[in-house]
Amino acid sequence: MITFFRFLIFVVPISLFSFLYFFINDNDYYPGADLRVSDMPTFELTTLYDGSKINNLDLKGSFLINVWASWCITCRIEHGFLVNLSSKNIPIVGLNYKDEKIDAVEWLNKYEDPYGLIIHDFSGSLALDMGVTGAPETFLIKDGKIIAHFSGEVNKRVWGDVFIPVIKKEKVEWNDQI
Amino acid sequence: MLVQIAHFLSILSTGLFFTTFLFSFFFSNKDINITKLISRIYSHGFLLLLTSFLIYVYLALDDNFSVLYIAQHSNSLLPNFYKVTSIWSAHEGSMYLWIVFLCLWGFLYSYFVSYEDVLKAKSLGIISIIAVGFLSFLLLTSNPFETILPVAPIDGADINPVLQDPALAIHPPTLYLGYVGFVIAFANAISFLLNGDKNIIWEDSVRIWSISAWVFLTVGIALGSWWAYYELGWGGYWFWDPVENVALMPWLAATAFIHSLSVSSKSKLLRIWTILLSIMVFSLSLFGAFIVRSGIIDSVHSFANDPERGLYLLSFAGILVILSLAIFSYRLPLLTSNKNIVSFSKESFISINNIIFGTLIFSTMLGILYPLIYEYLYLQKISVGAPFYNAIFVPSTILAALFLFFSIDSKWQRTYKIVNTYSPMILSVILSLLITVLVAILYKISNLWILVSLYTGFLIIIRYIFVIFNFFFRSKYSNPYSISAHIGLGLLIVSIALNSEFSSERAINIKLKGNDTYMGHEINFDNLELIKMSNHDSVRASFIVNDPKGKRFILSPEKRKYFTRGQITTETAIHATPLKDIYITLGDQLDDGSWIVNIQFNYFIRWVWFSAILMALAGSLLAFSLRRAN
Repeated sequence: MITFFRFLIFVVPISLFSFLYFFINDNDYYPGADLRVSDMPTFELTTLYDGSKINNLDLKGSFLINVWASWCITCRIEHGFLVNLSSKNIPIVGLNYKDEKIDAVEWLNKYEDPYGLIIHDFSGSLALDMGVTGAPETFLIKDGKIIAHFSGEVNKRVWGDVFIPVIKKEKVEWNDQI
Repeated sequence: MLVQIAHFLSILSTGLFFTTFLFSFFFSNKDINITKLISRIYSHGFLLLLTSFLIYVYLALDDNFSVLYIAQHSNSLLPNFYKVTSIWSAHEGSMYLWIVFLCLWGFLYSYFVSYEDVLKAKSLGIISIIAVGFLSFLLLTSNPFETILPVAPIDGADINPVLQDPALAIHPPTLYLGYVGFVIAFANAISFLLNGDKNIIWEDSVRIWSISAWVFLTVGIALGSWWAYYELGWGGYWFWDPVENVALMPWLAATAFIHSLSVSSKSKLLRIWTILLSIMVFSLSLFGAFIVRSGIIDSVHSFANDPERGLYLLSFAGILVILSLAIFSYRLPLLTSNKNIVSFSKESFISINNIIFGTLIFSTMLGILYPLIYEYLYLQKISVGAPFYNAIFVPSTILAALFLFFSIDSKWQRTYKIVNTYSPMILSVILSLLITVLVAILYKISNLWILVSLYTGFLIIIRYIFVIFNFFFRSKYSNPYSISAHIGLGLLIVSIALNSEFSSERAINIKLKGNDTYMGHEINFDNLELIKMSNHDSVRASFIVNDPKGKRFILSPEKRKYFTRGQITTETAIHATPLKDIYITLGDQLDDGSWIVNIQFNYFIRWVWFSAILMALAGSLLAFSLRRAN
């Protein structure tokens, strides 16, 4: 009985910790990343600079959507990396989230604009439909489908761990530019 | 510059803690001078860490936004109070506070416990190595001292509005003090096992520390529950959220531990239980830190994070737990007592209590892990909710309460003598049955579980009323701390049962100047105004409520939109009376201009918290009395 107890006292925690170890080392698990495929929600909003109308059908092909705001400090940290991506001709659509237009434009003038196009989502309605909980968040879209979603700052490591494998696997048009 | 100094001081303190660890393990613990030296090195390590933290607090107060973490979580417009609390509003800062508290407990231990205590040096060494583990985690994976250079932002991103609340300002620190407070018991237990002399009574010296930590844990959980109720608008006191569960598990283990501890310190019985529970309490606190900070589960509390953190915490906790259990397993023969536990003695009831609490901990752990295992195997997310936990907790708690009832008349190391205690026991059984039947008939309660819960709750309360009566009028000694804590438990069971039986809610659509009736209360939507505040806009609705007795009062729930983050929060309005809360939250406006308003009647909810406070009060009085006894 005592021997069994001495044995049990090891086996239970060791199996618990090994399970958790395998769980967090699993390929499909990455904190903040969600690789389930879903449809890009329909929307009707305006662009940030000229206020012209834009909807989901205007967005074609494969691109990143980066949710940012001028009030978001982490977005500023992330910004340099996005500028770097856009210099490699990777298309990034900005989704300006719950932000005043003047603040957002001023912010972009100050730090450089990595976005090909910016959607102004003042009420946060599109962001809500996409499942955004805060800024920054980044989505990878291919032909109207969300194929990757990351909450938090995208940096070199996240890009390598989360986005590049998906880009390669799904054979995104610009997979040779990364 | 200051931030670099703070950073440097914390690195330096890590070094001193590591030295403490080395000294305590490589020098003889029998020499008092060595123990003095170890205490001194430890204290200096703590003072450096404390200075570093105080500099950090100053940086936050001074709006130093070149510090990344402060820029991300504070704002120059915040009142000073919230500038300070913003430090623990996210991962890095809260971890920092966690470690400061951990080392603070160690410091108090090194200050108050005599150098004669043979376990002192090694205990400090164990506390130090844990501090080193966590400080390295902080500095390597979650550095709060990181700066934004060369240009600092003009202003910070602001604290999350739901965290701008006094309850939140004290809820995390209190909870952390509770979690890490058990490090003293843990370190002493391991130190005892390493020492291997079974005549040392380590249980005596850790009692006061463990009871104080238990008080903090209890208050911390109660505060969290209260905050979720009125600030988050959750409308209840407990939701089996994973993070609530990881706080509940150490609490359950700690409760079993402090009961078991009193047995072991009196009679050296149940020592296996006591040691195992002390390891369990601290391990579960570490497990909680891992669950919350690894992003492994989705919860309101989870922090956005990177994979290294989870891996580090898991490995650190894993090594610590498995090493402790290895020592425990090795020393097991030492702990077995040649005395047997007498059936129906107080010890026997406490060991039954340990088994029930163990079951509850195991089930809660299962509820947290099952979705993970399922996700791992089937790649689908599921969640385990209230029905699972209720099915286990309700019968187990009732069972534990019934054993408690019988244990009141039991004696230490002696079997039950039913003759002496005949009348108060039978009287309480009859009286509580009468009250339960009366309540059932008057309020038409037919749910069996509710009735059984009410019955056991009343049973405990009434039995203890007899004990108090005997205490005052027949001067029969009984333990006042045990009485008040257990009356708290009885009250908790009764109020939870009544709350789940009577509480109700409804969502109504109501137009401005319109009215509706719910549960005999007439609700008039009187006014709607837009208020501009310094950091948010707010829509405030006013409802005039007429209750069936003709009393009238105004409730004004709000919806706020905060400028800096664009976040929308709901401010509840609560009309509180001793028996019930009328709780209104404002929902969305519909296209026809009417508003969705959610109305809840929460019965006896205040009594739930009051019971928790009563337990904590009993614990703190006990801690004070132990302090005086020392």
